[in-house]
Amino acid sequence: MGIVDLTSMGESQVKLKNEINERLSRLQDEISDFCYQCAKCTSGCEAHKLLELEPHKIVALLKRGLIDEMINSDVIWTCMSCFKCRERCPQKVAPVEILFALKNMAVASGKQIPGNYTALLQSVLSIGLIQDVKNVTTRDNKTKNRSDLSLPEISKPTDSTKFQMILSKLAVEKI
Amino acid sequence: MKSYVLYPGCVMPTEQYAYEMSIRAVLPFLEIKLVDFKGFSCCGEPIKSVNQMLSLALSARNIALAEKEGLDIFAPCPMCHLALCESKRIMDLDPSMNKKINNFLADEGLTYTGKSDIVNTVDLLYDVVGIDKIKKLAKKNLNNLKVATHYGCHLIRPSEIGRPDDSENPQKMDKILEAIGAKPIDYPEKLDCCGGLLTANRPESALTKTGQKLQRVQEQGFDAFIDTCPWCHRQYDSKQTKAGETIAARLEVPVLYLTQLLGLSFGVSKEKLGLDFNLSPIDKLNLGGK
Repeated sequence: MGIVDLTSMGESQVKLKNEINERLSRLQDEISDFCYQCAKCTSGCEAHKLLELEPHKIVALLKRGLIDEMINSDVIWTCMSCFKCRERCPQKVAPVEILFALKNMAVASGKQIPGNYTALLQSVLSIGLIQDVKNVTTRDNKTKNRSDLSLPEISKPTDSTKFQMILSKLAVEKI
Repeated sequence: MKSYVLYPGCVMPTEQYAYEMSIRAVLPFLEIKLVDFKGFSCCGEPIKSVNQMLSLALSARNIALAEKEGLDIFAPCPMCHLALCESKRIMDLDPSMNKKINNFLADEGLTYTGKSDIVNTVDLLYDVVGIDKIKKLAKKNLNNLKVATHYGCHLIRPSEIGRPDDSENPQKMDKILEAIGAKPIDYPEKLDCCGGLLTANRPESALTKTGQKLQRVQEQGFDAFIDTCPWCHRQYDSKQTKAGETIAARLEVPVLYLTQLLGLSFGVSKEKLGLDFNLSPIDKLNLGGK
């Protein structure tokens, strides 16, 4: 099992896509009933000024079912997951959750995963953590890691083969 | 003496050593015992954009592991804390998801039961230990050090999932700092995001966010900037010079973990608090008592 199985595989991806689709239509139902485009989400959005993310428009596009258009766009990857939109929505709509679902869908549909998300995922698969123990430079330019600091050994999955196996089961069989 | 299983996550134990060292140095003073436990994995929050189900299952797995010890869980990283709490909420409220995930956990001989509570640094200090106890232990006079607090988005939002402090007006860190003689002051950018999560795909934008907030903090004349999140701290402290370059400003804001300042106030040595690892100009503060 490798990164491909968890992200953009062929057949076994169908179930994953169905699951995300379900999630999106659930969100779509909620929005159709509640969002009245007040744009409070966008006014507080951390990614708005800098990267032109407009959560209220994401909601409007989903309302119209324009999912393909959004998963083909880079803009869904500008969300910083600060959760302000979800917190402040007067109608309890959560644009941030829509964005998570859309990004998941982009990945499941085999779109290119931006940046080093693939590396993070690969690392979780192989050692259980997003990165391994690093050598860190101190103020006086010395390099140190955990073992130099009498910190206990790092906690990670003890049986990595088994860990990989259960993760693959999760991705392929959708639990 | 109350015991917790320490859930370290990824960023703190692999590079933000100062946070872990200062936590391990400070908690014994407060009669909190940490139990180290093997086998944890990532909480899943950093890869939630790629696969949200994976994130949910990884967190449930970590909770189930900790539950074997029969203790509550201490997750110092706000991102981990949110991931674990969100997973717990879904496992407790959604029977069909609970069944699915427990089925997945059974492969490793694990079961999620929901017995363990999950705390973060801020609620552990404020709600479990309490301000009075912290006040009594404060030895070193911080001389009304003017500090800006940074809570980190995941620590206070979304409140629906049960966060350690208020989403729009968090005050617990400020109260803790007051108790040790510092002078926390509210500022307009208090709730702004560090941008750290964009590091995966837009590192420049992440640094711009970091720089913009720090610049405002600097302009308002704060002596120090205090945080509790290893992701935020990596942005504000470890990458402060780069953040300054990104926004074409010279940033010189001393940044410390809340637990580092607590330790200094309790009289713990600089070495034990990992102050070596702070790359921001903390010497300006003259706190180490060389």
